[in-house]
Amino acid sequence: MIEPSIALYGEAFAKVTASLDELLTKAHVRYAMLVDRKGFVLAHREALWAPKPPTLDSIATLIAGNAAATSALAKLLGERRFNELVHQGERIGLYVEEISNEGLLVVIFDETAPIGRVKLFAKKSIEEISGLIDSLGSVETTNADLGNDFALDASALLDDLFKGM
Amino acid sequence: MSTINFAAREINCKIVYYGPGVAGKTTNLKWIYKQVDDSVKGEMVSLATEDERTLFFDFLPIDLGTVQGFKTRFHLYTVPGQVFYNASRKLILRGVDGIIFVADSAPNRLRANAESMRNLRENLQEYNLSLDEIPMIVQFNKRDLPDAMPIEMLRAVVDPKGQFPFQEGAASSGGGVFETLRAVSKMVLERLAKSK
Ligand SMILES: Nc1nc2c(ncn2[C@@H]2O[C@H](COP(=O)(O)OP(=O)(O)OP(=O)(O)O)[C@@H](O)[C@H]2O)c(=O)[nH]1
Ligand SMILES: [Mg+2]
Repeated sequence: MIEPSIALYGEAFAKVTASLDELLTKAHVRYAMLVDRKGFVLAHREALWAPKPPTLDSIATLIAGNAAATSALAKLLGERRFNELVHQGERIGLYVEEISNEGLLVVIFDETAPIGRVKLFAKKSIEEISGLIDSLGSVETTNADLGNDFALDASALLDDLFKGM
Repeated sequence: MSTINFAAREINCKIVYYGPGVAGKTTNLKWIYKQVDDSVKGEMVSLATEDERTLFFDFLPIDLGTVQGFKTRFHLYTVPGQVFYNASRKLILRGVDGIIFVADSAPNRLRANAESMRNLRENLQEYNLSLDEIPMIVQFNKRDLPDAMPIEMLRAVVDPKGQFPFQEGAASSGGGVFETLRAVSKMVLERLAKSK
């Protein structure tokens, strides 16, 4: 089973959210997300004025795929890693930077946010969040009480899902 | 499907469609995307070349529902089958829970099937995994071809020890697509229940 690399809940989740909110307001960006290198969305915030974002899962999967390809490239070239990635279109910009080992900060902004400002506040968020993440333990696997009932239940749901197909 | 708060208990299973180029991996995923209800599927992401060959991966998330208090979700991926793209294939295999090996029944792809299976074993080994532990099903696809090779012959090449369950498929018209996915999903979930 693939699990998110970072167990983010409770107080830590609230703190990350607060940091992302601050980034949203101060840098005037549309969306700020924390995703992990496997493509899980760990936290997502959007500005009140921003239009509805595209599917977050798609964004996270592509960001993670991109990061995996980039880091494989870095290794090939004898670098430990490449830092921040910025894509700037005519209207929309995308900023991605590593947070701690397993996390990625994703910031999506438009022409109302100067890139310098985005980077400045993104770095600040990264500092806050990486400190937080490093203080968390690794993910505890949710193995507790799966058993026969689980297999039976799951099996019934599978039959349901594919019913009549 | 937005933010995940990990106080919520979730199970995520990664299922990878593997196999040689043009065997029909992407076709399987497209069929699933087309047929399942909007309420259980996410967007399908495809990174492909101009001529629709997979370049990096296809991705489709499917929500199974809540099982014993766990929100259960399948992440379906296809790899690029072309030999050339092995670096991408390796990346996609990371963290795999179950594999659907899509073999091509066309006579001129016999060798490609065998090579892809060998490549799969090698790539898994780099993650210290093997097919003895990862659930896998073989789908013999393109059974609709008039010159499709006999199953026994395909199996002798792809799975000489007769180790893996298999399913016949004609993915472009949906044949065997769900049966294959259901079978591997059950294997994955059973393994999950057992390993705990
Ligand atoms: N006759 C027949 N053709 C099929 C079947 N399934 C797929 N095809 C065709 O085979 C071609 C390749 O299918 P894809 O699904 O793109 O193959 P793939 O395995 O994803 O290939 P790569 O992305 O290169 O690895 C397409 O033209 C499909 O229409 C089938 O069951 N029967
Ligand atoms: Mg493909």
